[in-house]
Amino acid sequence: MQYIIVGIGGQGILFAGKVLGAVALEKKQRVTGSEVHGMAQRGGSVISHFKTGDFISPLVRAGEADVLLAFDQNEGIRNLHFLREGGAFVVNVHDRSAFDNLKLKEFLEERRISLFPLEGYSLLKEHMGGNFLFLNVLLMGAMSGAGVGAPSLEDTAAAVKTLSPAKFEDANMKVLKLGYEAVVKK
Amino acid sequence: MEVSRRVSARAILLGNEAIARGIVEAGCLVATAYPGTPSSEILPAVAKYADELGLPMSVEWGVNEKVAFEEAAAASFTGARACAVMKQVGLNVAADPFMSIAHYQLKGGLLLVSSDDPGPHSSQTEQDSRYFAMFAKVPCFDPATAEEAREMVFDAFDLSERFGIVTMLRPSVRVDHCRQDVQEKITPLRPGPVKFEKDPSRWVCLPAFVRINHPKLNQKMVDIREAFEKEFAKYNYEVPAKGKATLGIVASGSAFAVVSDILKGAGRDDVSILKIGTPHPLPVKMVNDFIARHDKVLFLEETYPVMEMQLPDRTGIMGRWNGVVPGAGELLPEVIAGVLARVLGDDSLVGGAHPLLKEAIEELKILPRRPMLCPGCPHRASFFSIRQALPNSVNPSDIGCYALGVNQKAVDTVIDMGASITASSGLFLAQKAVGEEKPVVATIGDSTFFHMGLPGLVSAVYNRHAFVLAILDNATTAMTGGQANPAVGTKLRKGDEGKRVDIEGACRGCGVEYVRTVEAYDVAAGKAAVKEAWEHAKSKGEPAVLIFRHPCMLLRPEQPSIPVEVDQDKCIGCKFCINFFNCPGLVFSEEKGKAYIDERFCVSCGVCVSVCPHGAIRATSGEVE
Repeated sequence: MQYIIVGIGGQGILFAGKVLGAVALEKKQRVTGSEVHGMAQRGGSVISHFKTGDFISPLVRAGEADVLLAFDQNEGIRNLHFLREGGAFVVNVHDRSAFDNLKLKEFLEERRISLFPLEGYSLLKEHMGGNFLFLNVLLMGAMSGAGVGAPSLEDTAAAVKTLSPAKFEDANMKVLKLGYEAVVKK
Repeated sequence: MEVSRRVSARAILLGNEAIARGIVEAGCLVATAYPGTPSSEILPAVAKYADELGLPMSVEWGVNEKVAFEEAAAASFTGARACAVMKQVGLNVAADPFMSIAHYQLKGGLLLVSSDDPGPHSSQTEQDSRYFAMFAKVPCFDPATAEEAREMVFDAFDLSERFGIVTMLRPSVRVDHCRQDVQEKITPLRPGPVKFEKDPSRWVCLPAFVRINHPKLNQKMVDIREAFEKEFAKYNYEVPAKGKATLGIVASGSAFAVVSDILKGAGRDDVSILKIGTPHPLPVKMVNDFIARHDKVLFLEETYPVMEMQLPDRTGIMGRWNGVVPGAGELLPEVIAGVLARVLGDDSLVGGAHPLLKEAIEELKILPRRPMLCPGCPHRASFFSIRQALPNSVNPSDIGCYALGVNQKAVDTVIDMGASITASSGLFLAQKAVGEEKPVVATIGDSTFFHMGLPGLVSAVYNRHAFVLAILDNATTAMTGGQANPAVGTKLRKGDEGKRVDIEGACRGCGVEYVRTVEAYDVAAGKAAVKEAWEHAKSKGEPAVLIFRHPCMLLRPEQPSIPVEVDQDKCIGCKFCINFFNCPGLVFSEEKGKAYIDERFCVSCGVCVSVCPHGAIRATSGEVE
């Protein structure tokens, strides 16, 4: 499996790679991925690559990602070229109108890309008192909800538990389920 | 040293953490560094691992790379294994000791880790540290993966002790910042005895000794090249094609990893690869033998043609010298796939963006986001104060997050660490020569000030250069992820106490008479202070120092929450706040022609209330929604 995770510096996208890594390790899979640190991380476009299986390089080639997980819809759309035909696009939407763009619709259809949108900020406002720091866990939940070969909700939950402080465990589990359900029922 | 290696479970580590484990496990006693992307996470991981294992290692940030390297080098004079860690441009700072230490017959193993940043992602150059290894006549290991990097640390120390020479490990950003499953633990080697033995012919680089040592260094290169030809098959090996190869590729480091995955994915098993993990001195016989067995040979390496350059005859190969491989930029999968498509005449190797997607992105006006200072960043307020106080000033700046002040039109020059101060001097001198007196206000961070700011400041005091130096003290080395520095005073290992060095005191000690400190968030006070400081500098003919102080947002400081809103009636759409404050939380709606608060990013620092000339930004009454 090959994943591309995109967003904006400060949104917590590094966490997604850590969760995917922990899940894969549990399953005794080989993993490699690439992260962004330093200036490139400051508020600008950021991208993480993650691969499980028999690879040497941590970089995913354009057109080969199975899953594109976007913390920001603009970053997601801008990086759609990474997805393979038939790949899955899990995206945090803040402005639905972009997805009415006919060219975009046609592209997604032609490449048979499954779209899994969720309105992360609205969900966190409604259920988590507007604490947007939970966005990363919410999107991990959404990715398991999308299926598409991504880790199951149980596996993701176990990894999130080991990787985050115990005091956030209850809230994290709640948010994870929120993300899962936002996508799975569609 | 006896190697006792027990294989244990696997763990997922950042490449830099894997390198750190190698350093600790190889019995290193003294590890020093100055943070710099992509190398920054190595030293903290060394300290953490040494703490976990309860090992008596000295692990410290040097105040700059030269300091760090000299400390490690001298530690190795005692027989201890020592290493210094830095980024590629950090090696420029440490170049002086690196060049001379190369000539020494060392006692303990000395490792230099110099991390490269092809791209570049977070650097002012994409220079190739392996070139520096060649320049200094020092052997270099070039890992392709995190696991290999850790393994190479052991071999680099062994090689260093065997030949008495400093060795370089050159990971590139894709090794430093990869996250990979690696062996969890390796039983650490026990450090050897530590004793400094006096021997001027060995430890003093007088010209008379250098004339003896340089021919010896040349001989070491011959011997190490021979060793690389014969003994390092685990790093230098051939991945043969099935049947007759249509192409031979000589690849090192990250480029080897990328090209391997591409060929495998495309099912091209008709290409053979010679993987080189020791690019300097190049095992030339091995490479020439490979070249002789192939009709077409392509070289892939980052970022400079270091292997190509060492070939006695490179006219028969394809690489950077003849433009087949681009002369700049990172060798991303898409770049290498493009090169392969041309060389193999196989267009299926090129992906290429879909025209529909390209059009959609254009129609939706989606652009890549430039890096920006974080919401709530105190530097943003400082830059705004400086720019507003003296709009006609010239503003040299420095290496750190605050180079992003360029977004606020408050940064005019950046060269390297410490050059904000020396550039101010240079601008002052040019103006002085023709009798001009335009204000110059420089900005530098706390860590950068201690790194290389002090010599420039002393020079400016001594020579009477009139400018304002604004030191942006956010109590951390922020750009690289929040490392301590002298102004913070804490150290890396548990129980190892440091001492805080006072910035105000340091400036006064350098002879600066005007030293004032302001709260960075207080824009009114900041503006007044900038004007006053410049008046002092101008009238007294000397530098004035202004310290803007407020903790970095990455430290998550406790501070009042002041939710804000933009009064849509008062906002006239002049974009003043966008152009000069430039906050991710304060954006402009092209549709409405007005600014608004993007609650996804706003952290309610409240600073922007004092920014709008029309009073349209105000604190909301009551709670945030």
